[in-house]
Amino acid sequence: MKITTRQYAKSLFELTSGKSEQEIKGVISNFIKFLQKNRQLKLAGKIIEKFGEIYNKKKGIVEAEIVSREKLNGELIVKLDDFIKNKYSAKEVMLNNKIDEKIIGGVIIKIGDEVMDGSVGGQLNRLRKCLEIKN
Amino acid sequence: MNKDYIIDQLKKQIENFQSKVPTEKVGKVLEIGDGVAKISGLSDLMASEMVEFSDGIIGVALNLEEDQVGAMILGDYAGIKEGDTVKATGRILSIPVGGDMIGRVIDPLGQPLDGKGNIVTEKFYPVEKIAPGVITRQSVNQPVQTGIKAIDAMIPVGRGQRELIIGDRQTGKTAIAIDTIINQRGQDMICVYVAIGQKESKIARIAAELEKAGAMEYTTIVLAGASDPAAFSFIAPYSGCALGEYFMDQGKDVLVIYDDLSKHAWSYRQISLILKRPPGREAYPGDVFYLHSRLLERSAKLNKDFGGGSITALPIIETQAGDVSAYIPTNVISITDGQIYLESDLFYKGIRPALNVGLSVSRVGSAAQTKAMKKVAGKLRLDLAQFRELEAFAQFGSDLDENTRKQIERGKRTVEILKQGQYEPMAMENQVAILYALTNGFIDDVAVEKVKTWENDFHKYLKSSQKKVLDMIAEKKELTDEVVAAIEKAIREFKEIYQNGS
Repeated sequence: MKITTRQYAKSLFELTSGKSEQEIKGVISNFIKFLQKNRQLKLAGKIIEKFGEIYNKKKGIVEAEIVSREKLNGELIVKLDDFIKNKYSAKEVMLNNKIDEKIIGGVIIKIGDEVMDGSVGGQLNRLRKCLEIKN
Repeated sequence: MNKDYIIDQLKKQIENFQSKVPTEKVGKVLEIGDGVAKISGLSDLMASEMVEFSDGIIGVALNLEEDQVGAMILGDYAGIKEGDTVKATGRILSIPVGGDMIGRVIDPLGQPLDGKGNIVTEKFYPVEKIAPGVITRQSVNQPVQTGIKAIDAMIPVGRGQRELIIGDRQTGKTAIAIDTIINQRGQDMICVYVAIGQKESKIARIAAELEKAGAMEYTTIVLAGASDPAAFSFIAPYSGCALGEYFMDQGKDVLVIYDDLSKHAWSYRQISLILKRPPGREAYPGDVFYLHSRLLERSAKLNKDFGGGSITALPIIETQAGDVSAYIPTNVISITDGQIYLESDLFYKGIRPALNVGLSVSRVGSAAQTKAMKKVAGKLRLDLAQFRELEAFAQFGSDLDENTRKQIERGKRTVEILKQGQYEPMAMENQVAILYALTNGFIDDVAVEKVKTWENDFHKYLKSSQKKVLDMIAEKKELTDEVVAAIEKAIREFKEIYQNGS
């Protein structure tokens, strides 16, 4: 049977969790040898990606991408941090700030495959749709 | 218009607008190919949920896999690029339905195609729906008058039945369906004609023909044209059925025609193959039987407690070179409650409608046939069957004994009477009168080549001078002694005038 990337990533996580750094090094080199034996090294990139997802989920870490018009200042970042922690009951939030002038104002929060569009551009778009339906 | 009014209106509309920030599920387009998209993300998507591409085009999730979703695209997919964002809508594929759709030509998503303006609707119906269960149903007990003598007499269709029309190309399958729609005028029936992968010119012609006959007043055409994406052809019959269900839920009788389901199977095969579902026999996917059975099972006659509405389905299947044992025809034959089988040989012989009476059956319709028709039709079938057996001897002419010769002569006249032109559906009472005359030997002394003119003149005579007899048949729907006497009297009087006059 074919082993999926998710299965690889999950077993790698189980093997490494709660181990010391030295042990982890050994596990990883064995894991890579195993992949090589199965001719699955090409999956390495995807496994790393999946591993990251699983690790974040288990440890309660949320990666969020914040799109804004200007670089966010300290106070706003703290507020967003709290908001996301509450909403996703996460222990830790990793914020990644991106700048896009097209959104006019406000912020867009992207977490995994969920998007909260609080930008002025997005709101105007929704208003336009709302008016279109009524006419 | 004054500008204050416009501003006022705008203010009102904006007042209702809520500036809430919704959380949306999004994914990314990984791959696009021939009307099907592979999308990553969209983790909590439902099966057959609608998704929205960045330019507002709708897609439907068909394949839900571990980390990607296969969706068919309902619309022009040329503008969709790899990496575009896709939003989940949280709604199962549904179409707007409403009474205003009657008389319109719409696409499978309920949008008008006839340029007669917007359609105002208040309700949404899911395109895919589980068929009504046993408790809600009732057996067929009311006829659908197709207006075609051969069908109404020998292959009767009841309201709530599924009767397949099957035959090669150019044998008059659509003609039967259109004649049936035209004949529903005044019969309290709403018709939905679903065109699947049909030429737009053909649909324009049909729409004009229905308009001319006044049949568009109770008909909706659901059109998925030959140049529309395969996804449209795939959902068209389900949309048409959803529209039919809307009327059925109001207790109305609905006639839905699917023209044709072979093209529907082709479009589903195309989508399935692009989605990489494993191909089976004739490269159709494994669930092609369920594809049609779940559609046709939605036709039903509901009982009084559930409104008493009905959906009658007339699916059409096109065979290749008369091969009814191909995959799709056998499937659909086994699902339906009978079939009307059309043959090209008969068609070219001039027998139109080109009905093969031997192979055509109706499994449940006879329960709904009017008593008058049942009485005259029983003899008709026998006459025809005997004629078919003896036909080969017909060329010997005078060498035959009296009885055989009589049967052959009767058969020839029966075939003549059952011929009927297109767009000439006939009322039940006229059918009963002419078939009574035929089966009781009143036409035996008319020359075969003159039977057709005799029939036409007979109907004209009934209409002008014997209206009472027709009304009596239409009202009683039974051949009581009184009615029989009236019919016989009318026939005798007509024959006298006819022979003396000509």
